Parts: sequence; structure tokens; C-alpha cells
Amino acid sequence: MNRTAVVTGLGFITSIGNDRAAVVDSLQRLRPGLAPVEFLGNPAISVKVAGTIKEFVTDSPVWRDWRFPARYDLSRETLRSLSPHGLYALCATEQALADAGLANEALTDGGTGLYCASAGSAFLLHHHLAHMHAVRGERGNPMGVVASIAGTLNFNLAAHYGIRGAVGGFAAACATSSHALGCAVDDIRLGRQTRMLVVGAEEVNAETILPFAAMRALSTNPDPLTASRPFDRARDGFVGAGGAVCLILEEAEMARRRGATIYCEVAGWGQAADGYNVAVSHPEGAGLAAAMRRALADAGVAPGAINYVNAHATSTPAGDRSEALALRTVFTADGHRPRVSSTKGLTGHPLSLAGVMEAAFCALAFVEGFLPGNVNLVEPDEACAGLDLPRASVAEAPDLILNNSSGFGGSNVCHVLRRVAG
Amino acid sequence: MESSAPLPPAPALPDAVETLLRHFPAEVRAAYVRLRATGDAAAADTLVLAIVGDHMPQKQARLTDAAELVADLGFDSVAITEMVFFIEDLLQVNVTNAEILRVRTVGDLRAFVREKLAQQRQADGPATSA
Repeated sequence: MNRTAVVTGLGFITSIGNDRAAVVDSLQRLRPGLAPVEFLGNPAISVKVAGTIKEFVTDSPVWRDWRFPARYDLSRETLRSLSPHGLYALCATEQALADAGLANEALTDGGTGLYCASAGSAFLLHHHLAHMHAVRGERGNPMGVVASIAGTLNFNLAAHYGIRGAVGGFAAACATSSHALGCAVDDIRLGRQTRMLVVGAEEVNAETILPFAAMRALSTNPDPLTASRPFDRARDGFVGAGGAVCLILEEAEMARRRGATIYCEVAGWGQAADGYNVAVSHPEGAGLAAAMRRALADAGVAPGAINYVNAHATSTPAGDRSEALALRTVFTADGHRPRVSSTKGLTGHPLSLAGVMEAAFCALAFVEGFLPGNVNLVEPDEACAGLDLPRASVAEAPDLILNNSSGFGGSNVCHVLRRVAG
Repeated sequence: MESSAPLPPAPALPDAVETLLRHFPAEVRAAYVRLRATGDAAAADTLVLAIVGDHMPQKQARLTDAAELVADLGFDSVAITEMVFFIEDLLQVNVTNAEILRVRTVGDLRAFVREKLAQQRQADGPATSA
């Protein structure tokens, strides 16, 4: 049996909006979701902006202090083991299930699995470990482990929804949710699962974002409207962001039988590592180029058929340059010019969430008939020569999209998404 | 803290008392202050009942001394450990697994907390309050 995986539900808690309509509006009109921040109450910190999550207040380690939209009705038994990004993830999943027309009861028969992506909650982990030291290890919050360590998303979501299929988490820094999505696609294609929830989430706080300043990876531009500027000559680092996205995949025939609305097919994926450096991407993007080619081959798609590439480009000088060179290797060198943009100019860079968030943006592009532009791209880096980098979003309905992600250690993951005939 | 206080002051912890009791009614917060100042056992009872009420999954259940934490109030082992940690952190006591297993009802818990506080006072010196 030739099984394919299609996208049937999306949920968004992102810096550019907390529902599909707001996200589409931001992507089409290029309205950034970045905002001023003062981490640790210290005005001396040079990082001044972040991709914040509006409507949610989660700056306390105590869940009872959190505030979030009343439309999410969550019990204390659910909240007590969540981290801030776990709350985002649960809200995004609620949206995605409603979008897919799925009741919670549909998730418990073993056919549904769950793959998650997050680095855990450094914020809560620090809080609980500081408490442990303060009481010299004599007691601790029994929810401390499941609320804070890497894996907290899958622990909580699987239990909350009673999921009995494949459940797990991935750890590959900024490529993490792309690994989760790719492996979820494989589980459907191999017939192991008929439905997969793919969830990525990250927090917007000093503990998650500020350590990247020590690597000199963050922008110090204080202007929320222009700080994130992928591919632009004036880029000076990425802008940290948080949020959550849930993307629901289903086996295509099952989705059609139940009358689901289908956004697109995830036609293939590929991964390849740089084998080069722990934190810096390969200078010519060798691993990323190989990952793109593997994804295209897996999908049975020629490079010239791709209409749009959602680039990983985070607005760092080195990373954007290597991706531009990788894109030229795969496309430009053979005379192909797909549209290319990085939506991180709008969202900032939400780390492990990036891959599935941008795959969800691509899914929106199919059904809404547009390609997001490159906000803040004024003067492209010379490495971008020959690439088609639209400034504004364009009203073009794509047939095939390539979505790129890269993470520490030179981990590169790409997905090919295909329009599904209405 | 005055020298007549029977219990040691709560140290400055990440989960400070103010944070723990922020969401409780004024009479519960007042009971905590009274317990610290006087060692009043009735104040400890007020705190225990409020804490059980806050943590119990079955919000509609009646909170009587005879009510069983698991059978009547809906506690599972996770909810019990969560509540015990709250009590430990608030009252600066340590509770062993064996002690948890001995507590079945709300009345058991009230008696247990009274006993723990008495042990704490003995360990920290003679109480001088009424």
C-alpha cells in the first residue's frame, strides 16, 4: 500500500499571532511579532527585543500566577505539571484538534502518536534546582521533573489526551521539530500510525534565550520592527522567540474517508549533517545542500519544480550566508529560481519550534494562495546573488514547497510539501 | 521575629511563603501568621483544611474529618505528593514516604500536621506561648 501523509490540522501560539487568522494576516502583510524586552530586569543587557507571546503571562514559576486566554479551560491537574511552553503547546494542540475536527476520544485507539520538540524549560529547571540547593536536597516539588526536563511536552500531552501510539521527543536544537515532523511522516508512510500530532514549543525568557548572547548569536538591534532581517547585509544576529505550534498529520485515505480538510501533503524529507562544527554551519552549506537534495529525491521532485523555499535563515551573518550558498548550489547553479524567504524576520527565531512552525506556515500558503515575503530585506547579502528573494508577500499559489531547518552540530533537515488537489 | 515565637522563621526560599499563600483567602493567610506567632493548633487545622481543599481533585466533595483522601476526595498518588510537598515547603517540615502512607483521611492529616509541628517545636527549643 502506498501511504501518504497529509496535514489536516494546525494550531498556533506564536509571536505573530495566537490563531490561524492572525498568523495569516502577519505573513501576508509582513507584520513582525517582535517586542521590547528587558531580561532579568537589567537594562545593561544588550539584547533588547524578542518574539514575545501576547495574551499569556507566564513569568512566574508558579502555575497559579499564570494568565492565559479564558477560551482554554484547563484544570489544576493539567496545569500543575506544565512549564510555560507546555501551556503554549497545550493551547496550540487544542486549536489544531478543533481545526482538524477531531474530538479527544479519537486520539486514544493507538492509531494516533505524538512527537514533540523542545529543549525543556531551563527556567523551571533552574527554579527547581535552586530550591533543591536551598533545602540541601531534603525535599522538592514532585512535578519538578515532568514539568521542566526535555520531554516535558510529550509527557504532558500524551497523558492529557490519552495517546497510546508512538510517543517521543527529539533533541537537535533548531532542527528539532523538523526531525519530529519527518519521523512522524515516516511512521504514517510505514503504516505504523494513522495519525501523528507534531508539536514544537519554546519559552521566551532569559533562561532560554539569553545564553545565546554569550555565543554572540543574538541581535543587539533595539528596534522590534527591524532587528530580525534574514539575508540582509545589516543583519547582526537572530532575535529569540517562543510559542508553540501543533501540526496534525493523517494518512491520506483515512483523512479523506472522514471528510477532513487537507492543507497539503508532506511528500518527502531528508537530512544530512555538516560534520564540521559544534555551533557554526558549514561555510558553503554543504550539509544543508545535501539535505535538500535528499528531501527532493525522497519526494520524487526535481529542483526546478519547487515554487517556494521557506529558508531557515535566522538573521545571523554566518548562517544566512551558508544557506544562501546551499540554495545556489541546489537551485541557481542549474538555472532554477524558486521564490525564497525567511519568515523569521517576522517571528524571530523560536529555536526547536522553528521547523514545524514554518511547515505550518507553508501549509497556510497552499490554502491561502500566497508566498510570504522577506521583511526587512533592504540590501541582500552578496552571497544571495541569483536568489529570488521577494520583499513583499506575493499572491501566488504554490504547488511544491521546500522547508529548510538547521541546528547545532550541523544538523540539517528539509521537507517537501505538495499541494493536494481540491 | 520575637523571642517568644515557638517556630523558626521561614528561610528565604525560592518558593517563599508569600508565593505559596498568595492565592488563599485572608483568613487562611491570617491563620498562618497566627500559627507562626503562637503555635495555635486551631490555626494549623485551618491551614490544613484549606490546603486539602485547594489540592483535592473532587471539588464538590465534603471536607470532613472522616473524608478519605483517595476514595472520597479523588486524590491519586501524584496529587498526594503534590499536597505533601506544599505542606513541607510551607511549614518547613520533612515528611517521609512511610508517614504519607499512614495518612488516609482528612482527620489523619490534621493530626499528623499537629504532631509534626510539635516535633518541630521540640527540636527548636521550648515553646513559651500559650
